[in-house]
Order: sequence, then C-alpha cells, then structure tokens
Amino acid sequence: MRNFLRFLKEVRTYWRLLCIIACLTLVTSAASLPPPYLIKILTDSLLPSAIQQHKPTHLPQIFLAYVLLASLGALAGYWLTYSITLLGQRFKMDMRRKLYAHMQTLSLGFFEKSQTGKLMSNITNDVATLDQLISGGFVNVLQDSVTLIAVLFLLFHLDWKLALAALSVYPVYVLNYLVFIGRIKNTSADVREQREIIYGDLQEKLAGVQVVKSYARERSEVRAFSGETRSLLSLNVRANTLSTALWTLAEFIGAIGTAILLWYGGMQVMRGQETVGTLMAFYGYIGGYLYQPTLRMIQLNDQIARTNAALWRIFLTLDTQPTVSDTPQAKPLPTIQGNVSYNDVWFEYQQGQPVIKGVNLKVKAGEMIALVGPSGSGKTTMVNLLQRHYDVTEGSICIDGHDLRAITLSSLRRQVGVVIQETMLFNTTIRENLRYGRLDATDEEIEEAAAIANIAHVIQAMPRGYNTRLGEDGVKLSGGEKQRIAIARAVLANPRILILDEATSALDSETEALIQEALDRLMAGRTSFVIAHRLSTIVKADKIVVMERGMIRETGSHAELLTQGGIYAELYNQQFKAALEAQHEAAAVQAAEAG
Amino acid sequence: MGHFPRLLGYLKPYKKRVMLAVTLLLCITFTPIVLPKLIAYTVDTALPRRDVHALTAVFLAIIGLYAFRGVVSFWLNFTIGWLGQRVVFDLRFQSYRHLNRLSLAYYDSRQTGKIMARLMGDIDFIQQMISGGFVTFLADMLSVAAILAVLFSMQWRLALVAVAGIPFYVINFKLFIRHIRPLSMELRERWDAMLGVLQEKLAGIAVVKAFAREEYEVERFVHTVRENFDIGMKQMRLNRKLGANAQIIRAAFTGIVLWYGGALILRRQMQIGDLLAFNALVNQLYDPAVRIVDFNVTVQWTIAAMDRVFETLDTLPEIVDDSGAIPVRQMNGRVEFEHVTFGYEKGQPVLHDINLKVEPGEVIAIVGPSGAGKTTLVNLIARFYEPAQGRILIDEYELKKVRLESIRRQISIVSQESLLFSVTLRENIRYGFHDASDLQVLQAAKHADMHDFIMSLPYGYDTKIGEEGIKLSVGQKQRMSIARAAITDPRILILDDATSALDSKTEANVQAALEYLMRGRTSFVIAHRLSTIMNADRIVVLDQGRIVEIGTHEELVAAPGVYQTLYNEQFRSAQEQQGIQALLA
Repeated sequence: MRNFLRFLKEVRTYWRLLCIIACLTLVTSAASLPPPYLIKILTDSLLPSAIQQHKPTHLPQIFLAYVLLASLGALAGYWLTYSITLLGQRFKMDMRRKLYAHMQTLSLGFFEKSQTGKLMSNITNDVATLDQLISGGFVNVLQDSVTLIAVLFLLFHLDWKLALAALSVYPVYVLNYLVFIGRIKNTSADVREQREIIYGDLQEKLAGVQVVKSYARERSEVRAFSGETRSLLSLNVRANTLSTALWTLAEFIGAIGTAILLWYGGMQVMRGQETVGTLMAFYGYIGGYLYQPTLRMIQLNDQIARTNAALWRIFLTLDTQPTVSDTPQAKPLPTIQGNVSYNDVWFEYQQGQPVIKGVNLKVKAGEMIALVGPSGSGKTTMVNLLQRHYDVTEGSICIDGHDLRAITLSSLRRQVGVVIQETMLFNTTIRENLRYGRLDATDEEIEEAAAIANIAHVIQAMPRGYNTRLGEDGVKLSGGEKQRIAIARAVLANPRILILDEATSALDSETEALIQEALDRLMAGRTSFVIAHRLSTIVKADKIVVMERGMIRETGSHAELLTQGGIYAELYNQQFKAALEAQHEAAAVQAAEAG
Repeated sequence: MGHFPRLLGYLKPYKKRVMLAVTLLLCITFTPIVLPKLIAYTVDTALPRRDVHALTAVFLAIIGLYAFRGVVSFWLNFTIGWLGQRVVFDLRFQSYRHLNRLSLAYYDSRQTGKIMARLMGDIDFIQQMISGGFVTFLADMLSVAAILAVLFSMQWRLALVAVAGIPFYVINFKLFIRHIRPLSMELRERWDAMLGVLQEKLAGIAVVKAFAREEYEVERFVHTVRENFDIGMKQMRLNRKLGANAQIIRAAFTGIVLWYGGALILRRQMQIGDLLAFNALVNQLYDPAVRIVDFNVTVQWTIAAMDRVFETLDTLPEIVDDSGAIPVRQMNGRVEFEHVTFGYEKGQPVLHDINLKVEPGEVIAIVGPSGAGKTTLVNLIARFYEPAQGRILIDEYELKKVRLESIRRQISIVSQESLLFSVTLRENIRYGFHDASDLQVLQAAKHADMHDFIMSLPYGYDTKIGEEGIKLSVGQKQRMSIARAAITDPRILILDDATSALDSKTEANVQAALEYLMRGRTSFVIAHRLSTIMNADRIVVLDQGRIVEIGTHEELVAAPGVYQTLYNEQFRSAQEQQGIQALLA
C-alpha cells in the first residue's frame, strides 16, 4: 500500500491531464447512452396503434440525433484517447528516464549482483505494467462505472419490475466468470511456465549444439523436447477448453436473460403496463451496456496485484543508493602526474570478509607495476579500487596526493584507462567503438590510435573499413582483434594511469608480440598497472607486486624477486620449468654436436 | 502460395476432425440471424395479438436456440483449438528433429535467436492462423452471405440503402490501415533497437563507467525513448481517426436505415419489428466485411511465417549416414588423413592437402598461429564437416561409410568455450554417458580436480548451475567439461585449448588429470602454451592450412622453422632471465 501511495504521488504530476481525461470520459459515456432510448421513441411512434392515431414520428430528428451523438462521441473519443496515450507515454518516458539515469549512477557492485535481463525488464516490462494500470485500468473503470450507474438508474427509472426481471441472471453471469477465471489464470500461468522451460532449454541446446553433436545425443534431445512440447500441447488445449466453456456459458446465461426479459416484458406489454419501445430499450441496454463493463471492473483487481509487484521492483531499484558517489564538496581532479599511493588499504565486499588487508604501495608517476598472484588474491580488486568502483573500507588511496574520495568520479575516470579481460565492444561501427574513448576525437586521431594498437591494417582490409558494423549483423572479430580495438579505445582516451587486466590473454604468441610493442609504446610515460598470468609479459615491469589472500607478500623487480626465492620464484619455476629443462637439453645437444 | 497446400497437408491426418469442424461451423452460422427474427415476431405478431402462447414459444425458442448454439460452439471451438495445437506440436517436433540432424555448418551461419524465433514465434503464428484467421474468415463469409440473403428477402430497397454504408466503412479502414501498419512495424523495430542498446549498455556497464560516459548514455537513451514516444503518438492519432470515422459512418447509416425504414412503415410496406431486426442484422455486417477484406494481409503474414519454417525443414543436412553405413563397435583409435582439403566456403580452402597418420594411443599436439586451421582439423575427425577432397579413415573404416553416432560416442572433445547446461552438476557430467553410475560421475569429477569443490557446495552434485543456480568460474567450467569428457571413456580425445583459462596452479592440477585421461587413447591437443604440449608424442605444426612441420619437440626445436620461432618468441624473456640467474648464482 505504501508503494501504491508513492505511485500515486508520481502520477500526481500529471493532474491536469487526469482532469481532462475525467471530463472527456463523462462526455463519451453520455454520448454512448442514448441510442437504445432513441429506439424506444422510434418503436413507440411506429407501432400499428400509434400510426392509426397519427402520432408524430420524429424520423428526421432521430436520424440527426444518431449522427450528432456519434460525431460528439467520436470527437470526444479522439481527444480522450489522445490524452490517455499522452499520459501513458509521458509517464513511461519519465519513469524510464528516471530508472535508467538512476542505474547509471549506481556502482559496479550493483550490476555484478543483478542480472542484465532483470534490470532490462525493470525498465521495459515493469514500467509498461504501470502504464497499463494508468491508461488502461483507471480510465476504463472511470468510464465503466459512469456507464453502469447511468444505465442502472435509467432502467429502474423506466420500470423497476422489468429491470429486476432483466437483471435476474446478472449475478449468475458474474459468478460463472469468477468460477472459471481462477482456473483459467492458473492454466495460463502453467502454459507460460512451460513455454519458458521449453524456451530456455531450446536456447541452451541450440547454442550448445556442438556439445549435443559431440556426444551424439541428438535422439535423446529430440525425445526430451517431444515430451516437453507434448505437455505444452495438453496445457494449451486445457486453457482453450476452459475459456471456451466460460464464454459459451456466458453467452447462454445472457440469452436466458434476454428470454426472461422478452417474456416478462411481453406480458407487461399485453397487460398494457409497458410499451413495446421500453421493452426494446431494455433489450438494447442489457445486451450492450452491462456485462462488459462489469467484467472489466472485476479484472481491475488483478491488474492492481500485478502492478504492485512491478511497483515494488521499480522502487527497489530507485531506492538503491550508489555505494560510491561524489561528496558535495568533491572537486574535479586536475591533470595528474600519476603518482599513486595505497595507504594501509582495507576492503571488504561483505562485512567481516576482507579481500584487501592492509595494503601499502607507493607508485611513482610513469612506473609500470605488475600485479601477480593466484586467482582470488585481490589483484582485480586492487585496480577496481583505484578506479573507485568501490570505496576503501579503511585507509586511503591517493593520486598525486588527492584522496580519491575528495574528487569527482568523472574527472578521475577520464584520467584512468582500462583494458579488461572480457572485451566489451558495442554493436555499432568500429569508428564509433573507438570514439567511445574520446567523443571529440577526429577521424585522423582514431586511425592513429588504431595504428598504435596494431589493428589498423585489419580494419582497412574490411570492405567498409572503419564504418564496418560489429556484432549481430556485422562482422565477427577474433578475440585478439577485439582486444586490440579495446586497446586502441584506451589509446584515444589518453589516460595518465593505465590498467591492463589480462589484456593480452586471448592472443596467440605472434599477435601478442605485435601488440606488446604497442602496449609498451602506450605505457611509456604513464603509470600502469598490469595483471597477467603469463610471466613473460610482465618481467619488464619496474616493480612486481606479488599478492596472496589480499596481502602484498613480495615487491621488487623480476631479478630481485627471483633471487629472494619466494612465491614469485616458485610461480616462475612452475610455469617455465619444462621450458627450462628443454632448453637445457637442447643446449646440451648443441654442445655435444659442437664438441 | 506454394506452401499453402503443404500446410494443409499437416491437417490431413486429422481429416475427420476437420470435417467435423466445418459441419459444426455450418450449423452455427445461422444462429445470430434467428434472434432478431424472433424479436421481430414478438413485436409484430405476438404482442399485437396478445398471444401468450406465442410469447412463451418465443421464450422457449430463445433458450433452445442458445442451448443448441452453446453445445455446438463449444464443440467447434474445442475441435479447432485442438487442431491448431496439434499441428503446432507436429510442426515443432518435426522442425526440432530436423534441426538436430543438420550439421554444424548450418549453425555457423545462423544466430540461435533466429532459429528460436522460427521454432517458437513463427509456428505460433501459423497456429493462430489455423484456429483464428482461417475459421473466422470462413465463418464471416458464411454469415455475411446469410445476413445479406435475409435482408434482401425482408425489404430489398431498405437492404440496398443499408448495405451502401459498408463500402465507406471498408474504404475508411483500408485508407488508414495503410499508414498505420508501417508505423506499427517501425515502432516494433525501434523498440527492439532500444532493447538492444539497453542490453548492451547494461551488460557493458564496466566500459561505460571506465570512460565516465554515464551522462552521455542517459542522453542517448532518452533520445531513443522520445523517438518511440513520437511514433507512438502518431500511430494513436491515425488509429483514433480511423475509429472516429468508422463510428460516424455506422451511426449515419443506422440513422438513414431508421429514417427510411420508418417512412416505409408509415406507408405500411413494413412493420416496426422487422425494422428493428433489420437494424440489428445490418450491424452484424460491418466488422466481418472489414475482416474479409483484410484477410489477404493475414494470409501474407502466415505465408511468410510458413516460408521460414519450411525453409528450415527443407534444408538438407550435409552430413547423413549412407544407407549402407555400418556401426563401429569398438575402435582402436587409428586416425588417418589422406589428401584432405576443406573449406567452409567454396573457393576458400582452410586446409590444404593434409596427410597425417596417427597410431592408436599416440598424443598429437597441434600448433600454429590463430587461423591456421587447428580447430578445423579436429572438427573433421568428429565429422562435424565433410572434407571437400580426400578422405579420413578411422581404424580401417572410411569416416563417410560408418554410422556417425557410433563414431561420435567414442570421441570426446573438450573445447575452448565450455558449454554447460542449466541442470545439476551431476547431470552435466553424465551428459557424456547417460548410463554412468554415481560412482563413475564422482571419479570423473575427481580426475578433473572438481570433486573437492563440488563437495564444498551445500547440495554437492545436485547443485544446479546457470540462471537459477550457482555461477562457475571459467576455470571451473573448463574442468566440468573435462569431467564430462572423462566419463565417456573415449577412444579418441580432442583437447581444443582446454586449459587456456586456467591459472598456472590449477592448470598443473588439471594437467595431471588430462595426462591420466590421455593414457592409452589417441589424443589431439591444441594449445597456445608450449609448456603444456611438450610431452606430446608428435607435434604437428600448421600454418595457413598446411602441415609445415611434424616431429617431437626436440626434433622441431633443433631445426629452424615455424616451431622454433614460436618457441623462441614465447621463451625469449625466460631465456634472458635464465642467463641473469646463472650470473647471479
């Protein structure tokens, strides 16, 4: 309920539109009501008895009334729909902007915890559900209640006994609906669930068709699929049967009502207590103005329940506070040299489980730092903290003496460039992808950056060059090519501090050699942090930081660490032992041959 | 239109039900005409004559009519619904079975999403056409004909006037719908585009944040949403104009019918009850008329959907068993390539004239720069593709002439991307060998160094993975797929960069498992890291689709060539440092 009140508050912004909608609703309802009454006038004036008495017939007036009412209804209806659509679309647009803008402010931690699909459905489906309630549910209920009250009033006013007779089946009609709709809803939910199961399964098995084929499991997959689809078949047939039963019965109940009306009304007419015209008006009102509005009002209940769930999810997102945000007195970071210091840094993702434990590290501008250690030792966390995706739990990180928490996020991130392990490129042209590094880069600068990243020749060889689209309907790049585009993107951003997180892991040694020189060029003069498993790529670092379980265990140059004989030396020997042995043998063979 | 008879072919097995549906439909179409006629009878005959029996007869007639209508329409709808669902089932089952027969080459050139859309969306659309569009069309035609007949028999002059409204109504619809449909399509496209951007930017939020592009992204998103807004409003306006015109046309012609009818009554050429019935019947003409005129659009869409579905069904699998193919029960694992040439596309060979003889139990390492054809070479062994020239022999059998399934069951592949399914860990491992006992699953997991991790989970082997379950790291996934391969006890083992995502410590553990696994089996190993393949019996060096060197590590490293260069590059720095170390020592 609290969510609901908050939702109403959101809607209140549009009160002007809401007032217009309410007025127009009254007009359209009013314009739709008279036709059965016109039929009454017409009928009563054209009965044989009336003709004999030469009663006035009003034929042209009735014609005019029809046309005028329809025109009024159409005009009001046009503006009503216009206002409703405007309200709905405005609401959706504002809500979506609010949600998306809010999501953008949230920190990386939020996205790591939530699935992309769920976030998307927040922005698309949940907002659409709210809109359905506003521009569907609310407006319909308004219109329906106006119509219902007016018609009931009119019927009882015309002849309350006849009204009671005509409405005698009305409760049965509603009851029939209520009895069936529960089961239909359950079955539809089952159908949806079964469809999702099939969908998920299909998605997985088609994407993994190579596995299916490798293990020659085609036949059993087809068997399993057949079973699942068969369940879907029977569920669908059940849903269809239930709703057919509901509507067939509803029609029958309605027909009984008509029969009662005609019989009882007919008797009244014969007794001279009622006119034929009134009977016909009743017939028109009962058939066209009662049942549908009633059912729609019942359906609103459901809609509100659905909306509540959507509201809860939307407000949950909107109420999530970014864990990292600019303080009010945050200043933009001036152009930096690139001196970085970690001062007794502690960090934990979850309380009581520190991932970084008291790290102290001083990096001079222009130095290259290699972070080494087993997976889970906190290497990526270290660089994430430097980009301030998270705030340190204790201690501080400073760049050129500025505490990260005292400067604005965007000014920091503009000067820190990252190339990560899983290269994320967007489904647009190569040029646009590169330009993401710096929006105002000229085409020359883009090409230059591509050349530095050793990717220019690959791009130029493509038929559409830099305008080639990537992804879905475009070309597919190899892992190494993607990585190099990501590197070019970082080159364009021209950061003072560079982070390479396994940036070259997807490259074969030949390409890696090509790119290594590009990276060397890129790193020259910049402070850089490199995470890599391959020792050969990091032996050149000015300083190697060996991490284990969130602590720095060793710091020093390659040569220093090897002589220390610690963790690094062990890692080094493990990876290269075989190579070294083979080297020895080869040398021995050569020596023997020479000798 | 060519596919239409073919679709009807799917109804053939259910001929009796189709006949039943048509009969029921014929029975039911006349019912809406009766009620207005009964009311006319009441107003014109029963009431003026004060005939209570006639009135009671009308009462009973209405109830009887609708009881009849209820039974028939329930039966009809049930039959039609069943038919539609059944055809969907048949089509879907057939398509899926066919998809499983198609070779990998088919999947290489198509996106999973598109294949899924055919299997689900298009087939659903065909179902709607069968149970919805078709039946409605038939019913509409019948009822329009019946109503027109009744109207003209009642008062042909009034009927002419009444029917005159219908062309206006239909033309109004046609005029507007021509502009509305493209807008709907555009709206859908834009919506999809918006979803695409959203998906990408939310999944790639790390990049957005790394370049501090949040505001830019919000701006672009708002721009897209606003475009949607504009088109949505435009579409609504057209829709409402159509609706408003239709409303006025109908009201105007109702007014005219009542006016002219009233005049006829005054001239005693008609009675009021008939006029009321007339009015009710005319109103039942408008919507069916539009639906009939618009039917060709529905047909076109359905045909497009059918084309796509049948295109899938008509794609011939490139690799099928010969009629005389024999199963290979227990193979030894000898593999021989004889002058094999292969390309994914014509005229662009990826492998040239490959000759290679591998003895049972040999471990072959395949080395070369990316794009050299390493993965293609091993894919040919599993017969995912057919060589363009030359042949591949397994033991003494030509690969082409044996039962595909029997061969693949004895080959296991651990590939670069480990694809696991969203079921339990146990079921994933067992995917390799359906009848494996729990003990075998456990052993396989132990070999892949996964057992300890699995036991640390609260549900152990029954832990689900994927969306609803736990997430595995890349290394864990790779070890899972090694376990899956281990359980099949294959004669030929293919490791396609299987350990690339593991860090060196885990790799050392897994390496032991792999070595155990390779023992006694013919193995093909692709790896970038030379250290993992130096133990191979022979190393095959591929470059641009050709075998350029074959030999042991010692042989290859001693002779100048591709392998030596590769080797030196990777270990240059290691060598340098070794020199330093030697000096320091």
